[in-house]
Amino acid sequence: MSERFLVQPDVEFVKDLRALGGETLKKCYQCATCSVACPIAPDNKPFPRKEMIAASWGLKDKLISSPDVWLCHNCGDCSTQCPRGANPGDVMAAIRAKAIDHYAVPKSVSKAVNDPKMLPVLAVLPAIVFLVVGLGLKVFGVNWLNFSPELNAEGQIAHSNFFAHWLVDLIFIPLSIWAVAIFALALKRFVADIHANALAEGKTDKEKLELKPFLTSLVRVIPDILKHKKFSQCTENNNRATPHMMVLFSFIALAFVTGFFFIYLYGLGIHGPYNQLNPVKILANIAGIALIIGGIMLYKQRMEKTNEVSTYKDWYLLWIVVGLGVTGMLTEFTRLAGFAFLTYLLYFIHLMFVFHLFAFLPFSKLAHLVYRTVAMAHSDYSGREAKKS
Amino acid sequence: MSKKYGVYICTGCGIGDALDIKAICDVVEEEALPCTTHEFLCSEAGVDLIKKDIEEKGTNNLVIAACSRRVNYNTFKFDGCVVERVNLREGVVWSHPRDQFPALTEEEKEDEENFDRVQMMAEDYVRMGMARIEKVKDVEPYKLETLNKRILVIGGGITGMSAALDAAAVGYEVTIVEKEDAIGGHSAKWRKQTPVNPPYDRLIPPKAAGLIKAVEENPKIDIRTATVVARIAGEPGNFIVTLKKPGEKIEFDVPYPLPEEMRVDENGKELEHEALIEKYKEYNEGRRDILAVDPNGESFGAVILAAGWRPYEPKADEFANLGWGNADVITNYQFEELAAKGKVTRPSDGKEAKNVVFIQSPGNGTDGDFPYTGAVTSMVALKQAKYVREDYPDANAYIVYQHMRTTGLSEYLYKELQQDPGVYMTKGEVAAVESRGGSLSVDVNNTLIGEEIRINADLVVLGTGMVPVTHDDPTVNLAYRQGPGFRDNELFDRYADSNFICFPYETQRTGIYAAGCVRRGLNIEESMEDATGAALKTIQCLESVNRGVSVHPRSGDMTFPDFFFQRCTQCKRCTDECPFGAIDDDEKGTPKPNPARCRRCGTCMGACPERIINFADYSIDTIGSQVKAVQVPSEDDYDEPPFRILGLVCENDAYPALDIVGLQKKSFSADVRLIPVRCLGSVNVIWIKDALSQGMDGVFLLGCRHGDDYQCHFVKGSELASIRMKKIGDALSSLALEEERVAQFEVAIDDYDRIPQIINDFVEEVEALGPNPFKGF
Repeated sequence: MSERFLVQPDVEFVKDLRALGGETLKKCYQCATCSVACPIAPDNKPFPRKEMIAASWGLKDKLISSPDVWLCHNCGDCSTQCPRGANPGDVMAAIRAKAIDHYAVPKSVSKAVNDPKMLPVLAVLPAIVFLVVGLGLKVFGVNWLNFSPELNAEGQIAHSNFFAHWLVDLIFIPLSIWAVAIFALALKRFVADIHANALAEGKTDKEKLELKPFLTSLVRVIPDILKHKKFSQCTENNNRATPHMMVLFSFIALAFVTGFFFIYLYGLGIHGPYNQLNPVKILANIAGIALIIGGIMLYKQRMEKTNEVSTYKDWYLLWIVVGLGVTGMLTEFTRLAGFAFLTYLLYFIHLMFVFHLFAFLPFSKLAHLVYRTVAMAHSDYSGREAKKS
Repeated sequence: MSKKYGVYICTGCGIGDALDIKAICDVVEEEALPCTTHEFLCSEAGVDLIKKDIEEKGTNNLVIAACSRRVNYNTFKFDGCVVERVNLREGVVWSHPRDQFPALTEEEKEDEENFDRVQMMAEDYVRMGMARIEKVKDVEPYKLETLNKRILVIGGGITGMSAALDAAAVGYEVTIVEKEDAIGGHSAKWRKQTPVNPPYDRLIPPKAAGLIKAVEENPKIDIRTATVVARIAGEPGNFIVTLKKPGEKIEFDVPYPLPEEMRVDENGKELEHEALIEKYKEYNEGRRDILAVDPNGESFGAVILAAGWRPYEPKADEFANLGWGNADVITNYQFEELAAKGKVTRPSDGKEAKNVVFIQSPGNGTDGDFPYTGAVTSMVALKQAKYVREDYPDANAYIVYQHMRTTGLSEYLYKELQQDPGVYMTKGEVAAVESRGGSLSVDVNNTLIGEEIRINADLVVLGTGMVPVTHDDPTVNLAYRQGPGFRDNELFDRYADSNFICFPYETQRTGIYAAGCVRRGLNIEESMEDATGAALKTIQCLESVNRGVSVHPRSGDMTFPDFFFQRCTQCKRCTDECPFGAIDDDEKGTPKPNPARCRRCGTCMGACPERIINFADYSIDTIGSQVKAVQVPSEDDYDEPPFRILGLVCENDAYPALDIVGLQKKSFSADVRLIPVRCLGSVNVIWIKDALSQGMDGVFLLGCRHGDDYQCHFVKGSELASIRMKKIGDALSSLALEEERVAQFEVAIDDYDRIPQIINDFVEEVEALGPNPFKGF
């Protein structure tokens, strides 16, 4: 006989889940309507019925290390059909928030990112960093933060005359490394945990996690993710798939644009601002607009939805998304309009948003980008078939 | 009262179109009775016509040939008149439509060999109606010489106190008898109880305290504590009750009937009457016979049995897998006692019990719950889990169940408990409870969590059941020849239940109503509701006995069995077979009827081999005359005479079902003649013999289901009939008649779509046997 699972309820964990949007979790009476209603749960050990009782019993370890909470796309179909109003969709979202919190270190940052009371501090933190670094460099005679910038040779406003690209990179390259490093650390534990969980709960029969086939699976799921194949199977929140896709593609495009201009700048030595007819610039503009539209649509959809709980973690991410787009585009418009002070100010704020994006990515809801992708790859690797509908 | 007859035929509702009314009138006039027809007899004009005859001609015995007696009952009810309803509508024309049973054409009528089956049926029914009404006698109700309306309540718990208060509230005197030293029952000793009022989501202080006060203050309620019933003799309206102290032995303790094994000699042969009497006296040494009247007995009109329950006590070797025997494995009752004293602690060392597992099912490979459990024990688990949580904010209460039953609004309590972060519930099968280093481990399989789990516990509580006191003891101690308790209680796990169709509280003993946990596991709210129901039943009974009429299911029936004792052979069959124990007998075996105990089913009439038991309007003669009134055509009449098959139909379910057959225009053979009977138990085999000896080809009985899930409205009737029908087979074969000519079918009221098939199949079977050789004699 296999070893018995010793039940040790973690009441604090239950309380946390309830605070994170899973308030209704204790209403569940295990009828499993949710698992039947879910369009994307696999046939083998479907979710979210089992997650609901585990949540109700405070079985933290089971949930934190569950790959299944990440397979859930928060369709909301389960919540709509739940006869008890236990809202499994919200509970799953709360579990994910706890999982992100669990895997990201340092804990103090995670705590701050997920605490609305800390928002004012976090909000001004980038400004402080920028000023401290910028002014600090001035002490050494490096004037990368110039409060009285001049026009460039072509007579245009150039943001780098205000906030030098050297300074941008000095701050953001380490930040990117920070994000990647945190994810790397988290993933090391995450992947081991979800595999152990899958093995223990009979979701897979593969004893060992082999890297090569796992990476093959990763490559295989990426097109599905890009196409939002799972997301579009949802009924209840189906309208979210398109704006979500807009946001995702915008981020991808903007990442590409950033990389491209990085090469432009450092490889070819061409400084911005770049011509509006430059194809990369066109892509950047399209992406910027798409980001705003997608972000606002998602925001609106959350506002209008009455049977779903949206908490700080959801709003924070949407603020970042919309804030990034809006400040980015406004920076460009004011630059073209020649409002020098305004455009420098907006650029500064825009950079503050970018700071948040990079610095707090592994601690915020945005981390789902990484965890869900890995969990989906693992599911593919495990051979769990999604049920055919 | 001299009889003045009148026959009225309605031609409405299709009767006149389908039948030759003139010919029916000829049948009536052959008997020299006046025949009146009307096209709408239940109309004001039609009724006035009858009333006019009653007033002017003094008609007092009316045969109304129209619709079923189950409709227009009040329309055709006339004071001081005997009314016989002949069912031409549902029973003849609707169930034998002319498109399937064509009338004879003028041409066919010329040939005397042709006959019209439907017309014959109608004429027979009119003949049968006239035959019966002639035999009906005047009805005098049975009135008790002394009538007492005081109500005896056995048991002073929630149910008993509530019943007493309800009965007292409408003006009845009540005496509560409680075996303990104080009234209040189990629940008075509890910490809290499950809710009885909105919002139904929280525990409340026990209601018992308030009820005790109300009962004690009520001038109409007399309380006798430390008292039990030694015997209840007599009949409703005048039960003579002997009370005593618990454990006391007195001469009026009720004697018990001889057990089966003592009734036979060493060869297994039934002992002679005298020997039986000797044995009986020996067996009941020191106890007076049931017929002995206690001069100090108190008179009561009716009894409510609310004696309740006792906690189930597991045997030492029971529930070994659940660790029973370990000091920290206790029953829910023991837990309740602990909780009433203060914070919940471990019995073994008195330490705080912060991790408590409530086990609702014994597990060990089975799905069942503990014996005598149900919704109440589920609710108790919820309640006790709440105690644990109240006592310690960091406590964990686990409920492991196979069935979580929260009936009605009590589900709100379940929902509320679910919200408690320290309450954990799962369906599961408990594999083992083991002692592990000072604490307990509970291993559970097949859980909702999806694996075999282990829970560490300080205390384990088994959700054991509530055993009705009637499990151990008759409690009512009836001085009835059939025995001191209710019969057939083993069918109901010894609950004082009766499966009395559609009616709770009823027992097989008239005037004695069971309520509360003695009847089935009930929570406090349900017990209080039950108490009201039983109180109303006792009042109904008292207010029927005082007028000499029957209670349910023949409510209002004034007739009662009349014994012609000169011809009694003291065979004791009536005493043995009465489903209600209404008949006692003396040492010689002569029956002593107690009419107020009687429900008027007629089972005694059906049982009596001497046919000396009859009712004024329902007798061997009334039905026998109806049987004889059926014309049985023989070869003297036609070359191929039609068959004649008699159906004796229970009026409780089968007859209404047949009306529905007619209403739905379903048809069956026109060669059957149906006679409604009070219960198949009242069918005396003489009717069957008469029918066969006058040439009828077959007889069938149509009545309620019998067996463990009986639906008989008189509990035993259809079962007794089936026994008698088995015995009649021998008599038939001695007459060289096939056993298959007599059959009994079980139907329920909703079997109307099956009944035509049942009848037609039987008719076909009889036709296959060929005509009765006695035809034409």
